[in-house]
Amino acid sequence: MYVLTLEKEKRIVQPNPEAMETELKVNNLNVFYGSNHAVKNVSMEIKKHAITALIGPSGCGKSTFLRSINRMNDLIPGAVCKGEILYEGINLLDASVDVVSLRKEIGMLFQKPNPFPKSIFDNVTHGLKCAGIRKKDVLENAVEESLKLAGLWDETKDRLKHSALSLSGGQQQRLCLARALAMKPKVLLLDEPTSALDPVSTAKIEELLMSLKKRITIVIVTHNMQQAARIADQTAFFYEGTLVEFGNTRDLFENPTHTRTKSYISGQFG
Amino acid sequence: MASERNELTMPSTGRAARAQHLLKGKTWSDRDLKAKIFIFSAALLIMAATVALTVFLIVKGLHSFLIDGISVIEMFVAGEWNPNANPPSFGALPLLFGSFAVTLLSVAIATPIALGTAIFMTEIAKKRGQKLMRPVMELLVGIPSVVYGFIGLTVIVPFIRDHLGGIGFGLLAAGIVLGIMILPTVTTVAADAFQSVPNHLREASLALGATRWQTIYRVVVPAALPSVLTAVILGMARAFGEALAVQMVIGNTAQIPHSLTEPAATLTTMITSSLGETTYGSLQNDALWSLGLILLAMSYLFILVIRFLSYRRRSS
Amino acid sequence: MNAKVTDRLATLCFILCAAITAGTLFSLLGYIVFQGVSHIDWHFLTADASTFQAGGGIKNQLWNSFYMLLMTMFFSVPLGIAGGIYLAEYARPNKITAFLRSCVEVLASLPSIIVGMFGMLLFVNTFHWGYSVLSGALALTIFNLPVIIRVTEDALAAVARDQKEASFALGATHWQTIRTVLLPAAFPGLLTGIILSVGRVFGESAALLFTAGLSTPNLNFGDWNPMSPQSPINPFRSAETLSVHIWAVNTNGIIPDAKIVAAGSSAVLVIVVLLFNIIARLVGALIEKRWSGK
Ligand SMILES: Nc1ncnc2c1ncn2[C@@H]1O[C@H](COP(=O)(O)OP(=O)(O)OP(=O)(O)O)[C@@H](O)[C@H]1O
Ligand SMILES: [Mg+2]
Repeated sequence: MYVLTLEKEKRIVQPNPEAMETELKVNNLNVFYGSNHAVKNVSMEIKKHAITALIGPSGCGKSTFLRSINRMNDLIPGAVCKGEILYEGINLLDASVDVVSLRKEIGMLFQKPNPFPKSIFDNVTHGLKCAGIRKKDVLENAVEESLKLAGLWDETKDRLKHSALSLSGGQQQRLCLARALAMKPKVLLLDEPTSALDPVSTAKIEELLMSLKKRITIVIVTHNMQQAARIADQTAFFYEGTLVEFGNTRDLFENPTHTRTKSYISGQFG
Repeated sequence: MASERNELTMPSTGRAARAQHLLKGKTWSDRDLKAKIFIFSAALLIMAATVALTVFLIVKGLHSFLIDGISVIEMFVAGEWNPNANPPSFGALPLLFGSFAVTLLSVAIATPIALGTAIFMTEIAKKRGQKLMRPVMELLVGIPSVVYGFIGLTVIVPFIRDHLGGIGFGLLAAGIVLGIMILPTVTTVAADAFQSVPNHLREASLALGATRWQTIYRVVVPAALPSVLTAVILGMARAFGEALAVQMVIGNTAQIPHSLTEPAATLTTMITSSLGETTYGSLQNDALWSLGLILLAMSYLFILVIRFLSYRRRSS
Repeated sequence: MNAKVTDRLATLCFILCAAITAGTLFSLLGYIVFQGVSHIDWHFLTADASTFQAGGGIKNQLWNSFYMLLMTMFFSVPLGIAGGIYLAEYARPNKITAFLRSCVEVLASLPSIIVGMFGMLLFVNTFHWGYSVLSGALALTIFNLPVIIRVTEDALAAVARDQKEASFALGATHWQTIRTVLLPAAFPGLLTGIILSVGRVFGESAALLFTAGLSTPNLNFGDWNPMSPQSPINPFRSAETLSVHIWAVNTNGIIPDAKIVAAGSSAVLVIVVLLFNIIARLVGALIEKRWSGK
């Protein structure tokens, strides 16, 4: 239903996703937590400067898939990733990849807003400082630029030294977005970034993502199918660790080829 | 046009990597190296210190048996400790007896009161128990042991002398001082144990019409028993190893006393009184290091018992 | 007997136990503080201890206690925090980690006199530092290390996981994350634990008997050259601390007013420990409030 109502506004701007460059090419990705096979043989191409949505019922491996792209699964003892994720011609899962440099280039936003208990300014500059940038004017410019990109500048420009925890939940999430944008990432991974937010904050974030995709490749996990339909160019449906269906968002929502997909998007389970 | 772009940028495994900066490369070095070196050396140092402590004390403690020729058997069965006699005798039995006696005495005094207090804190006055009693107990754990010894010397010893006869110094005074000293330790650990009993067990019992007391002794205490045992062993270990507080009130006579009010001595008190007085390397001095070795072995035994208990607790 | 009556009796019993515990411990504390406070005056705190006459003070002992405390903390805090960081962040679940944990456990449960004996063997006799501030401080470091390690590990483990992930996701290295995110977040717990351990170190005596000694040279508080034998800050001179002093005047003391000196010293000791406790709790609560509020 909602797909149809959204049609009108979307049709004007949407290029054909299939004609776009590929940013991340995933080949036969398998992820294990000990004996738990969480992601099974997933292959897909994530397009450059497009929004790719990952949907599927809880526990189907969306977060696990997302976290293997920027190697966050390395932090979990016993987690093993096998297969290939090609980015700029290198396999991100390879042992020779420097995960610290990788994560500077592939940023991430989490489900719950998780600002550091420091000032707004220090939150935005955290990544830059860790990357060795110390010059005050460089940092100040970066803070202004990223907060503007995240649509938070007007609300915070007079209180940059205040605690980030004094912000509202929606503002906190945008601060986390600004924090990630300050690193000038090429890819942004978002794990249910709006599930803890109210509709107004959600709309703001969605709007931001739409404007950001001009320069950044975005992969977003969401439980909200309207959201996927609203913003994503391509959508992937996961079920019990496997990639069931992947294609243009409109096709997937209008003509799902698998019955599982159909029943999921029509709200019959999940 | 679209197909052209597609072809151009189609990634393939064979093509050379464009993102060299993402690879570790030949000149890659761990950015955290300095911090890691410090942290790993600290960990190494901690292990080295523990091993060194154990090895040094074992080697030094064996000296009297291996070099000076004191008989191990004599040390454990002979009833007289008199290193200055001619010939000297090194029977540590009175000291062992003293150590065990004061330990058991202190535990016998402290355990019932501590468990009662812990139950009061966790089952009866929960709010006040947490807000008031616990911080006070934790504070009392930190009171220096010489202060307990001094109290024993000025309050308990005279009290025993006046009301029970004898000179006041002896096992009883030591047991009471140690009992008071370990009371807060045993209480806090036992309170933790009772607290970790899940509430639904209590509720199930109460719902069946059991009174609070029945719930405590049929449900709470059995469920917490291994941890409570740990609390008692911890108290024992602390009592067994305490030196100065005991030394101040026990009377320091190496004999197996006939009553609780006669002076005695323990492993720790003998070491405390004599180690600094004897010449390093002399026979008398070496014998004291052997007492230290026995003390070390006992401490390890306590640690093993506590480990065993916590292992059983986790596996059950 | 009726179940209800038994229940009442049992409850009464528990209340009695709690009353005995609280009563005993409070009366002891009260006894020490009120008995001793009457002997504490400016003269007592600032006069030299006397060897055989009445009327001695505790100036040097007090100084020694604080000096040794400072040196102990100087060694044990960085080392203990590093050990705690290792266990919380770097340790892999393998045999070495298990062994390190056992080592910490052993150090934590060894009687302090054993630590003192080891200090005597290693620092006093093997390194030939003699009875000295340094030997004493190192023995106390062994005594205090496990406490700091545990406090650090617990405080780090209590930091929310999402903070750590957020930092990693921004391309921070592990150590950068520890230094700029985990340690600041763990700071309140860490500080409280360290201040509490200060009280414990301040009162420790058995570990010092055979490492720092039972005497103090005539200190000259005008001489701050660390190498001069009468300098208060010379680390290689012997140093009797306040708690050792309490034991010494009672055991081999020949001064006629041993009881008075001991009473005053005990009161000072207990008051200092109490102060550290109160400060630890206040500081912990204050930081907690400042960080979660606003
Ligand atoms: N840290 C972990 N350790 C062990 N197993 C894990 C871990 N994280 C996830 N799993 C398991 O991996 C599977 C996939 O989990 P994942 O978090 O990727 O699901 P999800 O699709 O993101 O679900 P949700 O929509 O609830 O976030 C689940 O079976 C889960 O139990
Ligand atoms: Mg998820």
